[in-house]
Parts: sequence; C-alpha cells; structure tokens
Amino acid sequence: MMKKELGSFVIGDGRRCTGCKACELACFMVHNQKSNHVGMTVGTVGVPVVPRLYLTRFEQGCMPIQCKHCEDAPCLNVCSKGAISRIEHQVVVDEQLCIGCKDCMQACPFGAITLLPYAKDGCLVPQSGSSETKVFAAKCDLCKDIPQGPACVNACPHQALRLVDPEAEREEKNIKAANALFYMKNW
Amino acid sequence: MNYFVKGNPDLCIGCRTCMIGCVVVHEGKHIFEIDPDSYTFHPKLHMVKTARLSVPVQCKHCENPACMAACGVNAIYQEDHRVLIHTETCIGCKACMDACPFGAIDMVTVAGVRQKDGSEKKVANKCDLCQGVAGGPACVRVCPTQALTLVTEEELEDLAKRKRMESARSTFCEVYHCDEFSYGGRE
Repeated sequence: MMKKELGSFVIGDGRRCTGCKACELACFMVHNQKSNHVGMTVGTVGVPVVPRLYLTRFEQGCMPIQCKHCEDAPCLNVCSKGAISRIEHQVVVDEQLCIGCKDCMQACPFGAITLLPYAKDGCLVPQSGSSETKVFAAKCDLCKDIPQGPACVNACPHQALRLVDPEAEREEKNIKAANALFYMKNW
Repeated sequence: MNYFVKGNPDLCIGCRTCMIGCVVVHEGKHIFEIDPDSYTFHPKLHMVKTARLSVPVQCKHCENPACMAACGVNAIYQEDHRVLIHTETCIGCKACMDACPFGAIDMVTVAGVRQKDGSEKKVANKCDLCQGVAGGPACVRVCPTQALTLVTEEELEDLAKRKRMESARSTFCEVYHCDEFSYGGRE
C-alpha cells in the first residue's frame, strides 16, 4: 500500500439524497458530545444545532455539501489568525483561535464554510466585551476525533454519502481502465 | 474532437520508459544531472500492472469531460484538441480526481511553492498531450515496443468508417451468399 499523501473527503450523491438532514444532525451530535454534553435524545440538546456540512436544495434535487479538504486550501491560505491548519492531511479549523473574520467563507469556492454560533459546556460563548455570541468557521473536519469515522456517512439512511480516499480510488479506476484497454487493443 | 494517447497491453512490456519520457519532456533533461532526492518525479500517465497485463493509462481527453464539469474554480478547459488544467488556478480540491472514471488525474506537489502554513501546495496533474512539444506526445515517441499511439479525430473516424464498411460487406455477403471479395455488385 502506497503512503497516504492526500486528504480524504466526504462527497454527497444527489441521486440518492432525500434531504432528510440526518447527516447534519449526526454531525452536530458527534461534534457536541464532549463539549456540550449532547446525547442521543432531543432533551440533551441545549445549544443551537450547528452542523459542519450543509444540506443544499437546488433545482434538480438536494445533497449535502461539505469541505473537500483541498490540497492548496484557499481557506487555509487566507486565514490571518492561523486558525486553519492541515492535520494529518485534513484541513481543520481551530474554533478557539477563529475570530469570525469571514475571510475563509469568502475564499471557499464550494460554500463549505459558514459562521455559526460557538457553544461550550452547554452554553453559548459570548464575545469578549459584548453580549453577542461568539461565532466560528464551521466546516467538516472529517470527524477526526471520532473513532467510527465520518458520522454523516454512517447516519445516512440512503447511502448518499461516501468517504473518498482519492489515491486508492484512482488506482482502482486505473486498473479498470487498463482492463478496458485489453478489449480495445485490436480496435 | 479531442485527440488522445492509447496504450496496447499486448505490446507493452511495463518498462516505464513512457513515464520517464513524460517527465523529461515536461521538466527538462536536467533531471538526469541533479540529486534524485531533490526532485519529485511526476509523470502524467500511470503504468498499471496486474496479473493479466501491463499498460499505461492516461487521460482520454473526453469530449464532455467529467473533470471539467466537477471543477469548482474553472481551472480545467478544452483547447487545441485537448483537455488542459490551469495549474495556477487549481486549488487541489480533488473534485476532478473523484470525477475522472479512469484515474487519469492525480495531485502533485508544486516545486518551490508552499501553502500559508508551510505545507506543500498540491495541484491536479494529468496528460496534456505534450502541448507545445515538437513531434507530439513524448510517451508515444520513446516507447521501445510502439505500444502507445496518438489517436486523432481523423483516425478514429476512418476506423469507424472502415468497420461500418466491413460489417456492411459481411452482412451483404451473408444475405446474398456471395464471395467476400466480390461484394461489388448484386448480379
């Protein structure tokens, strides 16, 4: 097996997605289990439901849109606080460092980042010197701290989300293309 | 119609000369003189070896390229019978890599360019049919067994025409029980 050099990402399938938002809820749940004591039931939710992927409706249907963990990530390149970094090939936002400047939101060509309210220990965190809630750049971190892998992929009832390992998939497709050449060799 | 290079698994011996030819023509002959550790080898075609065959796989320069449709920053375009990547615009999002059904695109580091956090910048890399190179695709020229061919629109259409004529002849001969070589008339 070749050494991993590219970031993985989750991609949605617009043909399968029914727009149920189970992915958004699962994402919110796993990211707030520790920090905000959110459990499996609605009663445990005391903070705004803030996902890191965005169910998007468009003319032909709907599908979740999330970060592609770009290899020359525009969000990482524009962040003046150094709050976005690459950890084990994935592009990750440090919520504590983020000052909500919106630069990353403008730089991302996919709309994969939105500024959303920041909560800790079950309470919304206020901005220093104001009663307004602190916001942070919410985007997919590929569930880096969650052992079962991306929660959205596991939660989807229609298998409309897929975790992509770009290098492994490219090699598989290469082999298929080579086999096809075998049948075309004599034109 | 776009042109493309096609490998023949019956003739390919898996020597990887095509890959070396590709790198030399895109990077210059100095690669033979410098320290191999200071250089990253990025061929634009991939040698596939399975138990059954060996053949290089490269971009097919599709007429409706999936990579071009998937690109979020319009870095992929068609020009001069080929599909090209504008690497300065590319942000390395891997959408094209996921979209390509042949595994013809990979992500490679850009020498001397770093992202803001100091990590290597990676952009999409694929066959450009040796644009601007006299004598056409280097892989075709260097292959010691002539296992690679540049397929042009004229050749592809000639081929289809020839096959249509052959199938018309054989159908005709079958129906009229005539000799295959005297298909010219009905009498």
